Amino acid sequence: MTTSTSRRDQALAALQGFLVGAKKPADVDDATPLFADGLGLDSLETAELSAVLEDALGEDPFSVGDEMPQTVGEVLDFYGASAGADESAAAAL
Amino acid sequence: MEAYDPAAHYDRVTEAWGLLLGEELHYGLFATGDEPLAQATAALTSAMIDAAQLAPGLSVLDVGCGSGAPACRLAQEHGVEVLGITTSEVGVAAATSRAQGLGLDGVRFEQRDGTANGLPDASFDRVWVMESSHLMPDREALVAECARVLRPGGRMVLCDLMRRRDIPFLELRARRREFAVLRAAFGAARMDPLSSYASLAAAQGLEVDLERDVTAETRPTFDRWLANTEAHRAEVTGILGADSVAEFEESCRILEAFWDDGTLGYGILAAGKPA
Repeated sequence: MTTSTSRRDQALAALQGFLVGAKKPADVDDATPLFADGLGLDSLETAELSAVLEDALGEDPFSVGDEMPQTVGEVLDFYGASAGADESAAAAL
Repeated sequence: MEAYDPAAHYDRVTEAWGLLLGEELHYGLFATGDEPLAQATAALTSAMIDAAQLAPGLSVLDVGCGSGAPACRLAQEHGVEVLGITTSEVGVAAATSRAQGLGLDGVRFEQRDGTANGLPDASFDRVWVMESSHLMPDREALVAECARVLRPGGRMVLCDLMRRRDIPFLELRARRREFAVLRAAFGAARMDPLSSYASLAAAQGLEVDLERDVTAETRPTFDRWLANTEAHRAEVTGILGADSVAEFEESCRILEAFWDDGTLGYGILAAGKPA
């Protein structure tokens, strides 16, 4: 769990670094949409983010599977469940 | 210290782009591929004029009017009244100055957004969109606004870069550097297929009567732009900077490759509003 949380944090840091470079607001949370009225990423920016995440973490959620992540939380979840989710799962047990 | 004058700066940058792209600042339509760029850019404008079916006294809305050169030409040569709109304040100033310098009364320019122009319904006989739509991401709103301001019996004409095939995400990712160079040189553009413009026009009640793919006829444009860069390198480097000039040259080569592999191209569309 420590590893997955750490990877989630790394992904968030990589995402925020990308947003700063792309001159977009880096103050995001899990619910922030990636496209349209959220961060407004276009297809090229999405491709660039995908490469940034792969460079930082060795894989990225845009290049696998059929469905693109739609929110910041869906990107981060690819690298590990959030701490809140882990706690909820532990409580359920 | 010399005061910064945005309109003068715009004029200077526009002049530099004119040296690179030719005075009309858009692609050329080459019949043989051997003709000079100025002849080919005039031919593209003429193709748009033919598609627009201009006649003296008509009112024309020029959406994304740039520096105002086409609007002034339409007024001078065809006796139409033109309102040119652009989101650029300095563009409006430069275009207004151009029209005043030519003594044209029937041409004016205003700062407005082509995707929400705020003009009255059914207030123009023609809407002219020349190589500006790729910079307006809300394509549906653009076409809807064009259709809204047309009078019954009016016509919309549009020409621009077009996407000629789907680009899968992994290919876009692999070629992202090439697309990023284009973005740096020409701004954040989005290209759609010619057929999607036709669909949008039809959805607004317009009757599309011309969908012309002129990819092959516009292809020699890049050779001419590269030749212009070589011919005017010192002057344009002094205005735009060496990095921008290098980006422009690389963009020409990337666009040539996209033209040749069927990724991008150029199209002309015309549609009428039923009377």
